[in-house]
Amino acid sequence: MERVGVVTRILRPSPIPPAYIDLRRMLAAQSAMERGPGSKVFAELVREHQSMVFSIACHFLRDRSLAEEIAQDVFLQLYRNLESLESEAHVAFWLRRVTSNRCVDYVRRRQRRPETSLDDGPEPRNVEASGDPMLSRKLRALVQSLPEKPRLVMILRYQEDLMPEEIARTLDMPVRSVKSILHRSLAILREKMERSMGDPR
Amino acid sequence: MDDFEKQLKDAFQRQDPSADFESRVLAAASREKQKPRWRLTLWMPGRLRWAAALAMSLVLAAVVVRQREVHERAAGEAAKARLELALKITSTKLKKIQDQVNAGRQDE
Repeated sequence: MERVGVVTRILRPSPIPPAYIDLRRMLAAQSAMERGPGSKVFAELVREHQSMVFSIACHFLRDRSLAEEIAQDVFLQLYRNLESLESEAHVAFWLRRVTSNRCVDYVRRRQRRPETSLDDGPEPRNVEASGDPMLSRKLRALVQSLPEKPRLVMILRYQEDLMPEEIARTLDMPVRSVKSILHRSLAILREKMERSMGDPR
Repeated sequence: MDDFEKQLKDAFQRQDPSADFESRVLAAASREKQKPRWRLTLWMPGRLRWAAALAMSLVLAAVVVRQREVHERAAGEAAKARLELALKITSTKLKKIQDQVNAGRQDE
């Protein structure tokens, strides 16, 4: 009897909080035929999140075409896993996480068989939106000089405006490590910035 | 958030990919849809997927246990055969010695 109870418990779908049920309901409302790539849901998700996914990759890799390639792979993976995602918030979290992992994987693969260094790549075009363009370019170059994890943490903090707790969940790291990475990276960047400002060149 | 962090926020503003990005993604997803799907996970509903995974694990465990039993039985049979052979050889030798002893006694 007890065993049957365990099996029933395993097979029973996990309860989803009401706030997270939107996407599932939306998906359920569409027929299986409509749920294709031409469907409203997937197209809307691509439209809504493309700048987020692309920007994480672009800021991390500093290469627009590569960032688009990675973003496309991420959305294809989303397409394959669409039914397992429960809400808009879950989709955004999932996309940030998968994009981050893909970027790190790409850099590690690239380091194993180097062709051209990403650090030597050209600065992406059309990235200045506001503020001092020169300063922004300098800051992006400085962040680029950080190791992979700190670079991702900085991008998620300042591009996505995530709190350390959310970054920790996204990158599967302890919150304390995220806070310490943020603190150290900011100190390094400040120091480098001051040094470069003091440099007459 | 101090000035330096505000500057970082400015530097890391979101950017848009190229204009045809969305259509390229949708086209790639469309090609993906046309591919044959052999993976179990794609056509099985969630609950059934769990049941299938559980059943597969049980079958796998049963196969492993059965394989181990077969192995142990085969090893036992081999040991038994070796022991029987050893006993047969010993018995033949003992018989030969006994015959020699008996022959000696008769000579005396």
